[in-house]
Amino acid sequence: MQINLLDRVRLGIAVFAAKTITETIRTFKLGAASVLPGTIGKRLHPQILAMLSQQIKHGVIIVAGTNGKTTTSLLLRDILEKDGWKVVHNEAGANLVNGLITTLLEKTSLTGKLKADFGILEVDENVIPLVIPQLKPKYVIALNLFRDQLDRYGEVDTITYRWGKAIAELDCDTILVTNGDDPALAHLGQQLATGDKPKQVKYFGLSEPELYLDEIPHAVDSIYCPSCGTALEYKGVYLSHQGDFDCPKCDFTKSKLSIDSKEWPQVLIGVYNKYNTLAAVTTMESIGISKPIILNAISNFQAAFGRSEEVMYKGKKVRILLTKNPASMNETIRAISQVNQAGSESVSLMLLNDRTPDGTDVSWIWDVDTEKFVNAGGTIVVSGDRVYDMALRLEYSKTDLNSGANIIVKEDLKEAIDTAIKLTAPNQILHIIPTYSAMLDVREILTGKKIL
Amino acid sequence: MTLELKIGWLYPTLMSTYGDRGNVIALQQRAQWRGIKVEVIPFDVNSHPDSIHQIDMMAGGGAQDRQQEIVMRDLAGAKAEAIKAKLDAGAPGVFTCGSPQLLGRFYEPGLGERIEGMGIIDLESKHPGIDVPRCTGNVVFEITAKRLAAELTELLGGKKPIIVGFENHGGRTYLGPNAEALGTVIKGFGNNATDGTEGAFYCNAIATYSHGPLIPKNPFIADWMIKTALQDKYQTEINLAPLDDSLADRARAAMLKRLEISD
Repeated sequence: MQINLLDRVRLGIAVFAAKTITETIRTFKLGAASVLPGTIGKRLHPQILAMLSQQIKHGVIIVAGTNGKTTTSLLLRDILEKDGWKVVHNEAGANLVNGLITTLLEKTSLTGKLKADFGILEVDENVIPLVIPQLKPKYVIALNLFRDQLDRYGEVDTITYRWGKAIAELDCDTILVTNGDDPALAHLGQQLATGDKPKQVKYFGLSEPELYLDEIPHAVDSIYCPSCGTALEYKGVYLSHQGDFDCPKCDFTKSKLSIDSKEWPQVLIGVYNKYNTLAAVTTMESIGISKPIILNAISNFQAAFGRSEEVMYKGKKVRILLTKNPASMNETIRAISQVNQAGSESVSLMLLNDRTPDGTDVSWIWDVDTEKFVNAGGTIVVSGDRVYDMALRLEYSKTDLNSGANIIVKEDLKEAIDTAIKLTAPNQILHIIPTYSAMLDVREILTGKKIL
Repeated sequence: MTLELKIGWLYPTLMSTYGDRGNVIALQQRAQWRGIKVEVIPFDVNSHPDSIHQIDMMAGGGAQDRQQEIVMRDLAGAKAEAIKAKLDAGAPGVFTCGSPQLLGRFYEPGLGERIEGMGIIDLESKHPGIDVPRCTGNVVFEITAKRLAAELTELLGGKKPIIVGFENHGGRTYLGPNAEALGTVIKGFGNNATDGTEGAFYCNAIATYSHGPLIPKNPFIADWMIKTALQDKYQTEINLAPLDDSLADRARAAMLKRLEISD
């Protein structure tokens, strides 16, 4: 993109000011400086996001969705770097406008030049329509859409509609990689593949019926046809509302998947990480990265902080699985149950907070299907700001009050961790299931350092 | 004799966005743990109005505006009459979060047109506009509806019936002269953030914005509903075996402490 002289000067000033701020914040250890520099940069040059991102040689990859953004972005980055490309990536997860600008500024020289081959930006679902016109991404990955923090955002179908509107304005060479098992996102793909400016659309999804769930979870949003509103018919459900669906009334049905899930291993544990892997693989294959490189990145993948991350604490192995909403908690406890099947004396630690990043309304835990998990036995230690709400949810999951998991309530987080660690057998893994702020707290105790 | 209890669950898929299933779970479990046979019967778009006759109590939860509109349109006519007849006959009901709006005369959403309610309770609800902040936060109120307060106080061994919950609503509800408030707000917004009332009480139906969900932290509501429903059904005095509610007690105490309210 050509930048005229005046813009170049203004951009230079904005970059200089913002970068000075970053230095100051870090020198005086005032924080991680993951958002403020962007705020200042935008003040000094409103088009800064566009001016920076359009210098990225092969364009920006946007990663969107309720769950899985951080893990998918990290895998994309690993693959591209293994293939020798220079990548700019908002790895700290700052995914609102000012966080995106800050990320790009980091890699920008004082004269306003940004040298990178690819930009990988995970973007908050509500910010997508706002940043797409500026970022003009070459790739948009639509991972999933679930019911999330109820005090923050509204309705899932409004979000899909707004995504569609923003993507439709992009050039025809834009590639949309969308979840073909998610009715709303599959429909989004089908719509964007037609019209005035048809996009190239790739669908990822599973073709492994042996992974079907026994029944559709309670916390499901999109089981109605996005085209005519009729209840969809499912041959099977893989996760939440994602599965093999068909509309009995109109001609809406699944599109052919661009990838055969059976041919690919996955990163980390859980069906949800299978989806994250497939989204990354589909994107990388369309860029033209070779299979051996992708496989290499998958097998050497190291989890992002708190996302199925493994750490050692007091000689025991601990796995931290961030959980944010009914869909992610359903999938997390499902993955843990699968890991636990081998041994019976499993120990888990569940942490429920109600601070702003967690969502202040914790009633969603009652939309999670905790029954199987609790009735499978073992020990569940509970803590967090809302320890008793979580404990009540688990207690009410018991078919019989005298059986099921042993539930231990500890108000104090440190005490809860120590209790859980003590109860974990040397050959077992302690699974920690925290909400966002609890994840930061628990990680600080386990690793002895703060991340944000 | 094994006692049997049929719980009608209003629109479980359309009206269950805010964890209100927790009320149904808690009602069901508290009955089952005492050896009562429970059947949960969904009442939804496909249900025949007459199917409401078989149930002993009902529960309804919250929805987003669009889903609520579908429900309110579906309820018009025969279904509304069936529900009114059931409540008038004394069936206990718990209507939380958005569902009290269904029982009122109308609801005006933030966007779009006024939707008629069932007109069972003399109340109306209006959304002040999508740019006006929602009423979101922890809520504590005392149940003051006369007969209910008396019966709950007896059940609680003389203690005042204080509800600890969470509210998260865009709409504001205003009670008409023929409606009785469920309670008086101690902390939080309540019906409309201005007049200090919370919810409404009609026959044996409890309507409240409080979710979180309502019953697990206020289990005496469940016990009162189960007792009331079974006494009416079997026409005999029912005394429920006590359950260990220490976890709920601690949950309540923790929240009251956080909000600096003395119990």
